[in-house]
Amino acid sequence: MFRRIAGFVMALGMLASWLLGCRPAAPSPVTLTIIMEQVPDTDVIRKLLPDFEKENPGIKVVIDAMPYDAMRDKILASFMAPRATYDVIIVDNPWMDEFVAGNFLEPLDDRIRGIPDYDFEDFVKPVRDIGVVGGKIYGIPFYNYALGLIVRQDLFDDPAYRDAYQKKYGKPLAPPTTLEDYVRIAQFFKEQSGGKIYGAAMQPQRGYKVFEEWKNWLYAAGGNLLDDQGKVILDRPEAVRALELYIEMYKTAAPPNSLNWGFDEALRSMAAGEAATMMSYNWMLPTLNNPQGPAGNLAGKFALYEVPGGKAVLGAWHWAIPRNAPNKDASWRFISWVTSKRVEKQRVILGGAPVRVSAMKDPEVWQKGFGQSYYETVLKILEDAEPLARGPKAEEIIQVVGTELNAAVAGEKTAEQALKDAAAQVRRILGQ
Amino acid sequence: MTGLARGIAVKAMPARGILRWGRRWPVLLRFSMLSIAAVAVLFPFLWIFLASLKPPVELSRPSLFGFEPTGVNWSEVWLNSPFARYFLNSVMVGSLTVMVSLIVGAPAAYAFSRFRVGGTGLRFLILAAQMMPPALFIIPFFLMAYYVGLLDTIWAVAIAHLTFIAPLVTWFLIGFFEDVPRDLEEQAMVDGCTRWQAFVRVVLPAARPGLAAAGLFAFIMSWNEMFYALMLAGGHSKTLPVAIAGYWTFRGVDMGKMSVAITSAVIPVMIASFFVQRYLVRGLGGGALKG
Amino acid sequence: MGHRDRRLGRRMVLPLILLLLAVQGYPMAFAVYISAHDYRLTALSEVRWVGLEQYRGLLDNPSYWTAMKNTLVFVFGAVSLELLLGFLVAYLLWRPVPAQNLFRAILLTPMFVTPIAVGLMFRFLLNNQLGIIPVWLRSLGLEIDWFGPDLALFSLILIDVWQWTPLMVLLLLAGLEALPVEPFEAARVDGASELQIIRHLTIPLIRPVMLAAILIRMLDAFRVFEYVYAITRGGPGERTETILFHIYRVGFLYFRLGEAAAMAITLALVIFVLVVLLFRSLRRQEALT
Repeated sequence: MFRRIAGFVMALGMLASWLLGCRPAAPSPVTLTIIMEQVPDTDVIRKLLPDFEKENPGIKVVIDAMPYDAMRDKILASFMAPRATYDVIIVDNPWMDEFVAGNFLEPLDDRIRGIPDYDFEDFVKPVRDIGVVGGKIYGIPFYNYALGLIVRQDLFDDPAYRDAYQKKYGKPLAPPTTLEDYVRIAQFFKEQSGGKIYGAAMQPQRGYKVFEEWKNWLYAAGGNLLDDQGKVILDRPEAVRALELYIEMYKTAAPPNSLNWGFDEALRSMAAGEAATMMSYNWMLPTLNNPQGPAGNLAGKFALYEVPGGKAVLGAWHWAIPRNAPNKDASWRFISWVTSKRVEKQRVILGGAPVRVSAMKDPEVWQKGFGQSYYETVLKILEDAEPLARGPKAEEIIQVVGTELNAAVAGEKTAEQALKDAAAQVRRILGQ
Repeated sequence: MTGLARGIAVKAMPARGILRWGRRWPVLLRFSMLSIAAVAVLFPFLWIFLASLKPPVELSRPSLFGFEPTGVNWSEVWLNSPFARYFLNSVMVGSLTVMVSLIVGAPAAYAFSRFRVGGTGLRFLILAAQMMPPALFIIPFFLMAYYVGLLDTIWAVAIAHLTFIAPLVTWFLIGFFEDVPRDLEEQAMVDGCTRWQAFVRVVLPAARPGLAAAGLFAFIMSWNEMFYALMLAGGHSKTLPVAIAGYWTFRGVDMGKMSVAITSAVIPVMIASFFVQRYLVRGLGGGALKG
Repeated sequence: MGHRDRRLGRRMVLPLILLLLAVQGYPMAFAVYISAHDYRLTALSEVRWVGLEQYRGLLDNPSYWTAMKNTLVFVFGAVSLELLLGFLVAYLLWRPVPAQNLFRAILLTPMFVTPIAVGLMFRFLLNNQLGIIPVWLRSLGLEIDWFGPDLALFSLILIDVWQWTPLMVLLLLAGLEALPVEPFEAARVDGASELQIIRHLTIPLIRPVMLAAILIRMLDAFRVFEYVYAITRGGPGERTETILFHIYRVGFLYFRLGEAAAMAITLALVIFVLVVLLFRSLRRQEALT
């Protein structure tokens, strides 16, 4: 009676082994598998791939795109396998030091030196510095996500608002350059529009989002997470001031009940014409100004500025080669091709976020892309920018600080208490 | 939970009997309350379906109607993205899991219902197993999948789904087998079948609707599961829930396309649910609830 | 039952037991193993035995306790609301009403939808500016901060209620339909009011079904992950940090698998204790009837 079951199980097993066995056998031409995130910048790379494969007939590229939250553990699993699953990976900036500390990434200095006209210095310094750990280069910049201040220029240019502001504050209405100005202008827009337009669409969501936004405020107030010696200075008075202003802004000028808002809600609020400003990724400007995009007939009325204080939070993705990748030469061939000046220019024209100075200064890019002033502003933003956190524990630090900040905005704690708690936890994480 | 069954194993009454005394709440009142509930249930679906037809600009506004419907989201998702493949992945994972679960679960359920193998304790253990927090399993699974090279394959997901689908199917089938009259198999055994043959030739065919319902319900559960799928297979082999979550990127939520994905994932399940509803109660009770 | 039947029975159960040992027993043992080690995915060469250190660490880990507390609040809040509403709807559906089958089909649909879709749907439906629900409420003069510190956990409970009350309805309706008619007719003859009948007759009679339904729902509610993941990410502060989400964070964002496994095991223990308690009271019910 068990023969039937046994037979069935065997058949199933055979089916399974057959299906498993039919994976691609070791190919004679090299196939590169790249893990990437499901974002528009990945689609841009997809569009460029045929060119690469034409220029490098022996190499085929397969992109494995997935949601952000699925990436980290896949990359790590690939690191630990005897032979990497992924020939090329992309690394988010909080992961960089962690991966290097785990000895998972291949240093690229010699390979870079091997290409005479590569011009590594052409990448904007703060961006390329993310990929440099302990004096060695492990990551080549892919695209940036630095923050800027996106405003409704038409509101700032509106005579009614201008006059009212001049009358009230005795100075012209202009995009803010200090925190106090920012709060005041945001409050002004809300009052003056009778509550129809909120001063700022914020993103106080717990974790990464609130920290990403608030750290711009922290920079503007003259503070930071760590000082030059790496000591935690998150509980200093500058930080308290930055957080108090941030909370004041949330309470008086942001859309009500937006405590769980992340990037997406803020963007939609801007797009729907309900907010006058937001701190967001610099490349959201073209999205908002696209008539086919979310803003519809408001398209063209948005403008990008540096965040108040000038120093912005920098995010960036880097290309890297895992140490256990089987075809490192082919991997490097792809990375060096896609990050070369020539291809970077094409990539930026197709809508990718720039990382090379030469691309941002190229008139052809201006003309085929989003215009001169946009790229000049982006370059200014990138030149004075710093990542959210560095070091092998960056991810955890971001989560912990982001939790305390969000609690303070929610009114669960005072700004001072929240920062004290955050600083204590960061010290513990860093073993100070 | 066999004792429980005894506790409430009251015979189903003909509806007529209930009719006679149950006229206290006016029909109209009950009808309108149920209508309110139905609206509360249907509204989010309607909203998400409408969202799938909206052009991007409308998605930033809290509008319901009054927009130019567009099919661009639908064609983008189904024609210009590997969504069909993810759909297929989900089908594969579900079928694989359900197939194995039925093969392993049906004999076990029969044994539980007829021979009381292992007593109440073992039965109960099966139910408890189905309820274990996935967080407990995910870490070992992840490491196992990586060691044997199954990471990011539908196999890894299917195996992980077996942790709760196999017990669920077994639990379900106990109830259905208890409904198969014992005379059937006894007659077959009188006719010269062994007990096993009686099970295969008589009991299984008699419990076919139950098998189908259990399989379908288990398929739906696998179809909807995200946690394992996200952790074990996020790339080429992602399943529908992971694909849906994938429209939510740090460059924003692609609401239009996400709505298409949600609608596409929900419709087949809704249709399937109409078929299983009738059988669900019997199954969920695992023989404990006599419907 | 003969000796041979017994043996056949054991053989028929064997494949399932083996399968469960493979897909559950082994991972569970593995989880216990790594919970006794300093097991970090980024430093697999430094794995070392730490005994019960991970568990002791949980004792003074405030986030862990907050997450546990939130999860318990969530489970009890959601399940009791679902029981109430579920009973109401089942009661309404019990007796003939126009379009009964259609109502039944519609009212059961939410439980068949993937929870991540439900989470994302409500994230936007309840959004203060983009969602249609706050717009309607505002026209009624109501301003509700759904995901603010006071209501966030409750909002997640409501979403759970939307999705899982149908299961309650299903089970309770089955229980109701199986009730004997005679006691009800007798009560009616005695002139009992509807409420009295519900309180003294209907509820006691279907109590065993209710307990079973509560058990099924409760165990499932402990696994809440998708709504948190899609909507609040645990915020404001730690107001909606549930235990599964916390385990995910520690295990897969910080890669401290040993600590995450220890948390998962304590969670399994909590669930186990609750199940035993509920099961006991089921038994007692049974003894009474």
